[in-house]
This record gives sequence, structure tokens and C-alpha cells, in this order.
Amino acid sequence: MKFTTLKALGTSAAISLLAASSVWAAECIAPANPGGGWDFTCRQIGKILYDIGQVDAPVQVTNMAGAGGGLAYSTVVAERNTDPELIVAASSATTTRLAQKAYGDATADQVRFVGAIGADPGVIVVAADSPFQNLSDMVEAIKADPASVAFAGGSAAGGFDHMKPLQVLKAAGFDDITSVKYIGVDGGADAITQTVGGFTQAMTGDMSEIVGFIKSGEVRALAVLTEERVPGFEDIPTAKEQGFDVVAVNWRGLYVPGGISDEDFQKWADRLQAVADSAEWKQAMTDNGLAPFTKVGGDFQSWIDGVVAQTEELSREIGVIQ
Amino acid sequence: MIRTDRVFGLVVILVALTYIVSAYNLPPGNLFDKLGPKAFPTIIGVGMIISAAVLVLRPDEEPEWPARPTLMALGFATVVLVAYAYALKPMGFLVPTAIAAGVLSYQITPHRRNAVLVGIGLSIGLFVIFKYALGLSLFAFPRSLTG
Amino acid sequence: MDIFANLALGFSVALSPWTLTLAVIGCFLGTIIGALPGLGPSNGVAILIPITFTLGLDATAALVLLTSVYYGAMYGGRISSILLNIPGDEPAMMTTLDGYPMAKQGRAGEALVISGVASFVGALLATIALALVAPYLARIAYKFGPAEYFALYVLAFATLGGMASRNQAKAGLAALIGLAIATIGLDNNAGFDRFTGGNLHLSDGVDFLVAIVGLFAVAEVFFFIETHGRDSAVGVKLERVIVPWAEMWSTRWTMLRSSAVGFIAGVLPGAGASLGSFLTYMMEKGIAGEKGGFGTGVAKGVAAPEAGNNAAAGGALVPMLTLGVPGSGTTAVLLAVLMTLNITPGPTLFADRPEVVWGLIASLLIANFVLLLMNVPLVRVFVKVLMVPPAVLLPGVTMISFVGIYSLSGSYFDLVLMILFGVMGYAFRKMDIPTVPVILGILLGYQMENNLRHAMTLSGGEWTYLFSSPIAVGLWIFAAAGFIAPIFLRGMLRRPQVAEADKVTD
Repeated sequence: MKFTTLKALGTSAAISLLAASSVWAAECIAPANPGGGWDFTCRQIGKILYDIGQVDAPVQVTNMAGAGGGLAYSTVVAERNTDPELIVAASSATTTRLAQKAYGDATADQVRFVGAIGADPGVIVVAADSPFQNLSDMVEAIKADPASVAFAGGSAAGGFDHMKPLQVLKAAGFDDITSVKYIGVDGGADAITQTVGGFTQAMTGDMSEIVGFIKSGEVRALAVLTEERVPGFEDIPTAKEQGFDVVAVNWRGLYVPGGISDEDFQKWADRLQAVADSAEWKQAMTDNGLAPFTKVGGDFQSWIDGVVAQTEELSREIGVIQ
Repeated sequence: MIRTDRVFGLVVILVALTYIVSAYNLPPGNLFDKLGPKAFPTIIGVGMIISAAVLVLRPDEEPEWPARPTLMALGFATVVLVAYAYALKPMGFLVPTAIAAGVLSYQITPHRRNAVLVGIGLSIGLFVIFKYALGLSLFAFPRSLTG
Repeated sequence: MDIFANLALGFSVALSPWTLTLAVIGCFLGTIIGALPGLGPSNGVAILIPITFTLGLDATAALVLLTSVYYGAMYGGRISSILLNIPGDEPAMMTTLDGYPMAKQGRAGEALVISGVASFVGALLATIALALVAPYLARIAYKFGPAEYFALYVLAFATLGGMASRNQAKAGLAALIGLAIATIGLDNNAGFDRFTGGNLHLSDGVDFLVAIVGLFAVAEVFFFIETHGRDSAVGVKLERVIVPWAEMWSTRWTMLRSSAVGFIAGVLPGAGASLGSFLTYMMEKGIAGEKGGFGTGVAKGVAAPEAGNNAAAGGALVPMLTLGVPGSGTTAVLLAVLMTLNITPGPTLFADRPEVVWGLIASLLIANFVLLLMNVPLVRVFVKVLMVPPAVLLPGVTMISFVGIYSLSGSYFDLVLMILFGVMGYAFRKMDIPTVPVILGILLGYQMENNLRHAMTLSGGEWTYLFSSPIAVGLWIFAAAGFIAPIFLRGMLRRPQVAEADKVTD
């Protein structure tokens, strides 16, 4: 008796699943395992595209983890170069790695960057009891003794999180940036844990990673690396207003294969714009600590070219690339 | 007397030496990274050499290796699996799976008709489960055929 | 007391016919996914997210479903460990050591029942501990810096000596090979790749799932081809499945101790369920001593790792919920699903969203009871797997493993690597080299090196930093004791045998 009930339940589960995965409209590749930012981008954008009627069937999300996104990149370039129904999640990490030649021979011009529709502002954070009250305090301390401040961040050395404090220090006229201590741990929350625990003196990361800890009062943000203060976090000053001209945001967006037609590129640009304008996306941004940052189509591609060139220069300076 | 453990120990020592040498050829790493990229691999490599040396000096009793025909069968199974790994993407799921499953089945119990049935049955059954119940992205046939 | 009011709130949110139905479905799916080698949490989430969207589940219903799948997968991992000697997921690898010998003796049913009850005890105690002390325990994570984590990993490897059946050098070598494999890929501290030979596929390192499926599942196929299925648990005449009350009762202290150790391992973000089940098994093996018969198919040998890894699964929810730090692959998945439900775990979650937290705890309790009720009667069904002819079963398991690994990155490369691990696993077992330390090395090596280097970065190259906190010193003392004790004991017990071996060599 028991077993037949179970079996029936199992079957009905299987059938409901069957219905859920019938026909896919488009495919979104998340170049990482489920759970990260790229996965979020694919799943949220995919869901909203369907909800607001931009596509007539759910978007299939494929996880293609490997080489920090390099595997997905080389697969798209080599095998899916003309697929008009393919989108791939991207972020600052994608362009940082491309600029640093971390995807083998791949270069940024092999795909088309279709747009970004949100950004996670860069932040520099200290524990609540830290002696540093503002960004200048910290910069002065590092100038006096570069070994006195260690940063923790969620990316590997040379990655985007590592670059943020270095850009600030460069802007302050400090050039010995290779001696600044940095440890790369598993994600922003882990970096905060190390900072609150007193093992490192500061954390460099994204706004979304620190929201809960700011609210609970365990950490203080010294600066946010945006043009203007972020809505909802008006009491966090920008680096710019403290005299350090640095803007570093982790944008969330998509690229498409390089070989598709201009019409198809425009189609995706329009769809992405529609997602950006939707109430659902605005809600998702608020819930996840993203700030508005919409650049779509041709504008975005030229902005990307500038970012890649800039990253390349800084990477060369800290010796990540020769 | 030549023993498996001795041969294996020597192979490990060679691999470990290569490993240590390639660690030494790595670039130095960041200034703040006091230990650097070479130290940990070197420690591991040295450890490997020490424990492998113990195997060379004090080998265990000889394991029971299978007879030559069985070794050939194992080699063949490995080749089939590797071929399957390469075929899965370009040829779609169904045909390579049926062949690989059929061959393995035949190798475990040499019964031709059953092996064919097992191959076909597993390939179709698993495809349905993975594709529709678990929602994995699989293609039944080569992409070029279905578009 | 507050806790009862909170729990009442949780149950009022989580208990309804609809959520119970979801719990049953989730537990069932989770058990199956957990039992299938190569299919793990990432597949779980791949299934969960579309369902929550399509069925339009609200946060509570989705929570019930996902916790059921989560705990279900932790229960399910043991099934293939016991029946086929192939761990369904990485924490279940320790369960193969005694579970499979039991199955070979025709006692698969007993092993499944005892491990099922152990899973229940571990998960239940962990859930209760989670409810009682989670907000306070979160502070532990702040006490663990690079030096403490490094000492913790040293402790794990120090106990390896007890792992080998005869030759300690072989256990050590196996662990070192695992550690060496773990150094392949992007060097987090230098920013460039090591030992990849320029191969992009290796830049993320070797996925431990690839290694575990290769070393166990593929190697098992080779053994079946060699022996045509003789000398395995498949086709062994099964004794009637009865609940072995007396035997179960004899493992009560094992279950309780393992739950405690597993829970603590789970709470530490850098440790997780695999380390939890490893440490509990080694601890119980040490307590039982040579007479305990660990490794030959004893009840304690399946009770310890299962109580340990399920308690760790509960413990891992502490840092995940209170800090947003996922301690394991599975909690990373859970975190992802919570985020898609617009629930952001972090230090304020308990205060801001009590209905979510207590709803989650209530769902965990529900899932746990559903799993117990489902798993024990289902043992009769599970053991039927052993009646499937090997010529059908093994090809099936192989194909499932291939698809599971293929779904990781969609490339042939991982599959070829998995086959290589299969060949290695076969050869190692022939040579009596244990494969569990290889997995342990791959699992922990990356973090071990990272934490050592972080410690040196923070201290500016000062070695004494590694021993600079009471926690670190304590862990080093445990590690030293764990390393020396087996050598000392063996010296007393095994002296004649070693001498004999010497003679043969000369």
C-alpha cells in the first residue's frame, strides 16, 4: 500500500517535471556552477524574459563551469559562433580575465557584448572597531607601512577584488602597489569573516556581499567605488568625494556569439533593455544589492573596449601579465 | 626480484621529480606572498619521494594481477570508454551510449543478445530520465541533424 | 521558552498537506539524486529552480522542497556506497569502508537500516542544535583564520596513518598524490596557472567529483569485467531484511559522538561534511581499537560516518544562514536557491526574517522524519538493486556516472580524466593502496595550501604565526596525538610482522 502511494507520488513528480522542461526558446550559458553571480544572471534574466513575454518559452540555463568562464568562452567561440539563440552571462570578471589573457589565446573581440543591466558597486570595508575612519586614514597607513594593512577579497590575486584597493592607492599617488598584502578567499562573505575576526584589516568586494553585515553593524564601509552614492546606502561616501578618482563596479550582463547578424544582436539588445525596464528586474536588483547600471548595445561594446584596455595596463603594472 | 611495488615506487619518484622541477620553473609570484607558488608543491613532492622510497625498499607481497586475456579485456574496455567520452558530444547521446553500454555488458557477462538489449534499453531509458525528469541538456542525435 | 514559540511559528508556516506532499516528493527525489554517483547537489539545484518557478511556489513551499532534497541527498549517498562500493556523493565515501563488506556478507539490508537510523540521529541532533545555538555558534567562524584552518587540515591528514590496512607508507603516498593533484590549476595567490601544461580545462583544477566517480565507479566496472561479477555484493543471497535492534543499540554512543563531531565540522566553513565523516570514522576506529574490526563490515563503521555527515550537513547550515558563507557544495546550492527566493542569508536573517529561519528549521525536522519513514521501509526496495544482473547494473551505473560528470562542464575532458582515475583506482586497489586518502587530498589540498600561504602573507613570513592562537595550538596537539598514537600502538601489536616482511625483502 505504502509503496504504491510513493510510486504514484514519484510518477506525478516526474510528470510535472516533464511538463516543466518541454521546449526551450533560447539557451543561457552560466559559465560556472549553480550558485554564483553568473548563474543568478542567467536564471533571473531568463525568468524575466519569459515572464514579460519577450520569449515564448522558458530560457534553458546551462551551467558550463571551467577555467573561470574560459571554457564557456572558448566553446562559444569555437562551436556556437553563429547561434542566434544563445546568450552567455558575463561580468567584470569576464573582461578582467580576457584582459589578462587568462582564457588562453581568446580575445575580447571574439564575441559581442550585448549589454549590462545592473552593477554591484565595489566597496572597501573594515571591521566596526577598526581605527580607520575614512579612506584617507587607510591610504596614509599603507603609505607609511605597506605591510600594516592586509586585504581579503573573494577573487584570486590579480582578480577584480584585488584591483580595487590598488586602483585607489594608485589614485592616491602610491606606486609600490606590489607590496600591499592581499589574500583571496572563497567569496565575499568569507572575506568579511576574516576581517571581522581580525585576521585581515580590510575587505574588498561588492556591495551585495556586505549588505547584511552593514545592517548588523559588524563592519563599516569606508568607501563605495561609484560615481555617486548608491540609493539605499546614502551614508556610504564614494571614493571620488574623498578625493580618490576611482570607479569600479562589477556589472552584470550578457555576451552573444561574435558571428551573429546585426539584427540578431539588436534583438537581444532590445530584449535586454525590456528586462532592464521591467518592475521584476528592479525588484531583483533591490533584493540583491545591485545598483542601476544600464548600458546596452553599441554603447556597451565601446565601454567594454575601454575597460579592457585599462585593466590590461594595471595588470601589467602589478606583474600579472608581462 | 622485481615487484609491482618497486616498479610503482620508481615511477612515483620520477613523477615527483618532474613535479618538483616544474614547480621550480614557475614564476616567483607576488611580493606579499612570502611562501610563493613553489614551496607547497616542493614539500609534497619530497614527501612523495620519501614514501615511494619506502615502497621500493620494503615492497608488499605481489598483488594478484589478472592473466593476459583479462588484461586485454580491461584495456579494450578502457579504449571503449575513452571513445565514448569523445563521441558523446559530436554524435549525440543515444548511439554511443547504446554501443558503450552494450560492450561493457558483454564484457561482464558474455551473452550477445542480452548485451544488445541492455545497450539499447539503457541508452533510451537513461536519456528519457536525464533529459525529461532531471532536465539536463542532452541531445539525442548529432546537433547537425536536428538543427 | 522562546524556542517553543519560535518552533510553533515555524511549524505554522511549514506544516500543511501541500507542504507535506512536497516534502515527500523532495525526499524521494533527493534520495535518488544522492544515490546516483556523479549526480550531486548541482544537479539538485538544476532541477529545483525550474520547479519552483513553474509551480509558482512561495518561499515556504520552496524551502520545504529544497530542504527535503538537501537532506534526502545526504541520506541517499549511502545507498550506492553500501550496495555497490560507489559513493553517491563525496561525504559518503567513508561509508563504503564497512558498508560494502557488510553487503558482501549478505547484510546489505542491515547496513542500510543502521546507516539510515544513524543519518536520522545525526540530522535530528544537528537540526536541534541549529535551532538552539546557531546565532551564538556563528561566532566560531570568526575565530578561525588561516593558521587555525591549516592546523585543522594537518589534523585530518595526521590521522591517516590508521587508514591503511597494512602499509602506512601507502596511505601517506595516496594522500600526497591527492595533494599534488590539488595543486593543479589556478594559483589563487599568484594569479597564474600551475601544472596545467597550458590546458584550459585544468585551469579550474581537478574536480573531486571526477576523481571520486573515477576512483570508485569506473574502477568497479573494471573489477566486474575481471571477475564477471563474482566476489561482489551483487547476486549475494540476501538475508531477510529485519531491523537489527540489538546491533543498532550497540552503536548508540557511536551515533551520539559522531553527531557531535560531525556538527562541529559542519559549522566550520572550511571543513564540511566530508571532513566530518572522515574524522568521525577515524575517531570511532581509534576508540574501538584493533578489536573493533573496522573495515571488515561492522555496524559502527557505517553508523559513524553517516551520523557524522548528516550532522555536518545540519551544521553547515549555521555559517550559511548566519554569515552567508556556504561551507560545502551542497550548502552553496541551497544558498543559491535562497537568493533566487529573495532571501539573503547573513547576520541579520534571524532577526529580520524569523518566519523564514524557523520555517526552515521546521521543514528540516519534517524532512528528517519523512526520510526516516521513507528510508527504512524502502530498504527492501533498495536491496533489490543487488538482484539486477551485473551485466545490466554496471553498464547502467557507468552511463549514469558519465552523464553526471558530463553535465558538470559539457566536455569530453572531464570524462577522459575520470577514466584515468578509474584505471588508477583499479591499480591502487590491486596494490592495496587506499583510495580514500587520494580523495581527501584533492578535497582539502587547495584550501590547505591556500591557508598556509595566507598565514605567511599575513605574518610577513613568520612561521610562529601558525601556533599563535590557543585554537591553533590545540589543533596541533590533537594532530600530533593522532599521528603518534597509531605508530605507538602498531609498534606494540605488529612488531613481529614487520620483522617478517624485512626478511622477505632481503
